[in-house]
Amino acid sequence: MATRVGVDVGGTFTDLIFFDDATGETLVAKEPTTPEAPEQGVIRAFETGVPSEQRRTVQFFLHGTTVGLNALLERKGAVVGLLATAGFRDILEVKRGDRDDPYDLFCNHPPPLVPRRLRLPVTERMLATGEIRTPIDEDDVRHALQTFLEEGVTTVAVAFMNAYRNPAHELAAERVLREEGFDGAISLSHQVSGEYREYERTCTTVIDAFVRPCMASYLERLSVRLNDTGFDGSMLVTRCGGGSLTFEEAEARPFETILSGPVAGAEGAAELARRLELGDVVTADVGGTSFDTSVITDGRPRVVNEGRVVGLPVQTPWVDVRSIGAGGGSIVEVDIGGLLRVGPRSAGADPGPAAYDRGGRQPTVTDAALVLGMLGDGKLAGELALDADRARAALATVAEPLSFTVEQAAQGALTVVTSNMANAIREITVEQGQDPRQGRLMAFGGAGPLFGTLLARELDITRIVIPPHAGNFSAWGLLGADLTRTAARTHILQLTAESLAIAGGILDELFDDLAARNGAAEATREVGLDMRYAGQEHTLTIALGTPRASLVGVGAEAVAETFTDEYERTFGHAMEEAIEIVSARATLRTPLPRRAERFTVTSATDADVGSFRAYSFASGRWLDFELVQRATLAVGTELAGPAIVLEDTATTYVDAGFSLRVDGSGCLFMRDSHEAGPN
Amino acid sequence: MTLPTSEPILYRAGIGSSTGVVDADPVSTEVVRHSLNSAANQMKRALIRTAFSPVIYEVLDFAVAIYDRQIRLLAQAPSLPFFMGTMNFCVEAAVEAVGGEERLDPGDIILYNYPYGTGSHPQDAAVVMPVFVDGAELVGYTTTKGHWLDIGGKDPYSTDTVDVHQEGTIFPGVKLFRKGELVEDILRMATANSRVPKMVAGDINAEVAAVRVGAAGLLRVINRYGLEAFAASVERMFDHGEAVVRSYFEKIPDGRYVGRGEMDDDGISDAPVPFEIVVEVDGSTVRLDYSGAPDAQVGPINCPIASTVSASRIAITMLAGGGEAPNEGHFRPIEVVARPGSMFHPEPPSPCFLYGWPAMQSLEVIYDAVSKVMPEAVPACSGGDICALVWWGIREETSEPWADGSPHPVGQGAHAHGDGASSLIHHAEAATRFSPTEVWEARNPWLLEKIELAPDSCGPGKHRGGLGVDMHFHMIEDAYVTAAVERTKNEPWGLEGGLPARPNCGMLYHVDGTTEPVAKATRLAVPKGATLVLQNGGGGGYGPPSERDPKAVHEDLREGYITEGHAREHYPHAFE
Repeated sequence: MATRVGVDVGGTFTDLIFFDDATGETLVAKEPTTPEAPEQGVIRAFETGVPSEQRRTVQFFLHGTTVGLNALLERKGAVVGLLATAGFRDILEVKRGDRDDPYDLFCNHPPPLVPRRLRLPVTERMLATGEIRTPIDEDDVRHALQTFLEEGVTTVAVAFMNAYRNPAHELAAERVLREEGFDGAISLSHQVSGEYREYERTCTTVIDAFVRPCMASYLERLSVRLNDTGFDGSMLVTRCGGGSLTFEEAEARPFETILSGPVAGAEGAAELARRLELGDVVTADVGGTSFDTSVITDGRPRVVNEGRVVGLPVQTPWVDVRSIGAGGGSIVEVDIGGLLRVGPRSAGADPGPAAYDRGGRQPTVTDAALVLGMLGDGKLAGELALDADRARAALATVAEPLSFTVEQAAQGALTVVTSNMANAIREITVEQGQDPRQGRLMAFGGAGPLFGTLLARELDITRIVIPPHAGNFSAWGLLGADLTRTAARTHILQLTAESLAIAGGILDELFDDLAARNGAAEATREVGLDMRYAGQEHTLTIALGTPRASLVGVGAEAVAETFTDEYERTFGHAMEEAIEIVSARATLRTPLPRRAERFTVTSATDADVGSFRAYSFASGRWLDFELVQRATLAVGTELAGPAIVLEDTATTYVDAGFSLRVDGSGCLFMRDSHEAGPN
Repeated sequence: MTLPTSEPILYRAGIGSSTGVVDADPVSTEVVRHSLNSAANQMKRALIRTAFSPVIYEVLDFAVAIYDRQIRLLAQAPSLPFFMGTMNFCVEAAVEAVGGEERLDPGDIILYNYPYGTGSHPQDAAVVMPVFVDGAELVGYTTTKGHWLDIGGKDPYSTDTVDVHQEGTIFPGVKLFRKGELVEDILRMATANSRVPKMVAGDINAEVAAVRVGAAGLLRVINRYGLEAFAASVERMFDHGEAVVRSYFEKIPDGRYVGRGEMDDDGISDAPVPFEIVVEVDGSTVRLDYSGAPDAQVGPINCPIASTVSASRIAITMLAGGGEAPNEGHFRPIEVVARPGSMFHPEPPSPCFLYGWPAMQSLEVIYDAVSKVMPEAVPACSGGDICALVWWGIREETSEPWADGSPHPVGQGAHAHGDGASSLIHHAEAATRFSPTEVWEARNPWLLEKIELAPDSCGPGKHRGGLGVDMHFHMIEDAYVTAAVERTKNEPWGLEGGLPARPNCGMLYHVDGTTEPVAKATRLAVPKGATLVLQNGGGGGYGPPSERDPKAVHEDLREGYITEGHAREHYPHAFE
């Protein structure tokens, strides 16, 4: 049985999707987010969205939370003490010497998560080879603990130089802290990340320590409340690197859950790509303030080995989602030099676009779309009626200095914001040697389906997919988040048969560690090696298919060939240098049971059919768009643009020159009518 | 040696001027502008990810840029601002060297590193690719300049050259690719002249990959809009950049404002080299006059005109560019006056290996001049230097040559809006960074004993300067180092009553306990067991220390940014 619930907590709304395995039906619910105690909004959504008699049948509760992220944003986390190698207590402040904005003369960094007085030195030194140069002075740890206790430190992070090669001193520090009676949480850098780069690893360890208590208490409160409702299935949280963790693991490794919504969207897109065999997919997730894009290849989102959150590096697998400040709430303005700018400033949800009539006076992308008729009659998300007069008045403030009509200003705003999104897609694909034109565009998020055909035209993509529940798609993506655990360790070796054996040994250890984290039974193993040409720094992660035992039967020559092919595909040329292995990566994946969804169609009534005057970007003039309700479209229905498809959580704008077909999977497939061939 | 001197020459930092009647709409222009910046970003990523030398992939010691056919800056990606400002000179000189536009073919890629064309030392090698529409019509150029770890010369890095020919092998504009075909001879020349041939070959590959990625990106934008509409949008984009900078200077009262600075020495003798720069605001135009600078020096602290113009562009666009990546238009309101034969406009064969060091000082001096009329617009002096170290040697176990080099961070000057930031690379190289210690130690035969903020290194003030950093490099095998550390004799100044900060200082601690100061030093032997210590400077303070909030003083004391002695000396009011 695979009945399950996905709940994604966003800044404004808590979205729920309930999938009932018995009927194949999917229900959605939306409740306001309760920032002070997010579990309240979650429970409310659960009680509204899941019929009480079914709560016991729910087997999985899959959760995307921003509790950790908010703790970082608001700096409301644990009082962390950091033990550092003597001489390196300032790693968090010395950083790498670079700045976020190179053109800002006055730039300064936000204060570090651990103030200097709580970053204390420990005499010890490990070499890059793993040899001990200076044994640890355990008295330093004791003295530091005294200071920590006087200062009210609740969690301790330990990050020593080169601990990725030999963790003995970090383990010794932990032992001493425990011997001395410290009973708070301890984060050790080598357990958080086995990779080198001390700033990045220290930062990740400190983030782990900083968010740990609030994550633990939140997850505990939530699980108690969930059980109170009658639920007794598995509770899972999404990982930044894809898949999910149990609540128990998430309490131990909270830094792995820092990013949720954008990852869940990418994971949902990947699940559809696998299920429907869509090939390469680029996602366009457009919300109120941001545009997120990711690339799906071979049915998985691309994962990179480091992420970034509130300006801080997080050294952990990270679904490669690029964000720019472009969404429905992005503000349209004329800058000092007379150009029309859109974003990154946003009106957010409050006051929101001028058309919301909640006090917003500045024009936004949503106002522009409304004025152009792209939102149909302007009933958004089923609840809010948009005020077109307010939208026009707001747009007039930017139209006037440009000597534009309001409609021209609106068209300009949509053109600029679409181009910015398309550039982000180009960067994420082209830099990996991928051609976006070869794949499909999957558009979701509240405003994504509005931009599907616009982006496709801009990028010369001919095939577009609008998934079911497009406006709640992040929550839907949660439903397929397999249980996933990963570990990696840096150990630089020249690629030979012997070094592959060493890497194999490391992988065996990593898999043992992973299995020990939580007895995983039916897990599949995935192995990756970060590789490069000797002399380079940046690596490519090469996936090696060895389901049974790590690296047994894989020859050095075959590995070299795989690397060379991948390098050539990515960078356009290969080289004749020696190849190095830098890090080994182990992944254990326990898939959730498959689910089969069914979609019901409500019968069409006359009220659902009509036409609406809207601006067509493809033809450069106003046309009559066919107006239809998505819920009334039977599987197999085909229609030709221009059309506007309405549903509760999103509006799909089908420009002239595109046709649409309703697929049995619940997806809308659109394609450029000029292109022959399958969807 | 006396070099001939002549009358000052005025250079316009940006080509053309706004006509105000450009026929391009503000929407297409914004779209084209973003798309070009995006193409430059793709170049940057390609270069970083395929480079071989840590100076490129970790330090980001490079620039990438896209130019139009008239060699006007269309776009660049944030990397090394100070290189970016020289790229038009590189393109012009490279194209001229191979015989001009008519000698360019699709698929050609030119290698160019002559210091008097690039403005840099020979290690900074420019790669230039002409871009053709439909394989026929020249529409622009993509280019990168990246720092190679060694391309010959008397040493991998030098502070004591006396002519430009000692500084490295010169590629005076040669085709590395001819109609898409690699000219093997050129590559062989490059590798034969490098002490680390594999790194240089790898970096050439990376630069080539980057200009090709950029060329594809530029063509995509042009093909999307058509050449005519593209050209109109570009004009409008330049006008926009120009308007942003002009609107800034319109608000500054007209006048001549003088900034003063001093180089510690020229690398050969010990005598300090004072100089001044006049910032003249005339309506919305800003003129930077270097003609009062002394004659070209015997040692290599001469800054070729390309880099003098670049420093001017950087200083002004950081001040007045609205926080955005500049294009040609932003440069139009800037004029540069320099005297041929002087330190800021040397002529061949004057040595110019340390061209960047006077250029970095000039940034501080320009802001000193601006502070005379608008102190709130600029920060106090920073540590003022990148305190560069370049290392090399032969590995004991493998006998392989190795080399590495890095800029190092200093404290930033305080300003009217707050304290200066600690530990940042100098703003001339704003987007560069130094390597993680663990990466360094996995690669080089050394051990870092310390990288820590230096208490009390900040200039006191109502707002204090940022802290400098102490760095201890302990050698595990014999090595050589060239150090280029400036501002060791002059403290970074404060503004508006703020006090100066700790200057930079280098010191070599030998195994036998003896010590040796290190500032500008070439091929200094650092034997196994010796330790090189860098004490990088802090930033100057802003406003009188007596006006500092006592709470902020006690906070700094509590965190150990300052010691009690420093606090009581400079902020007695906090203890009353």
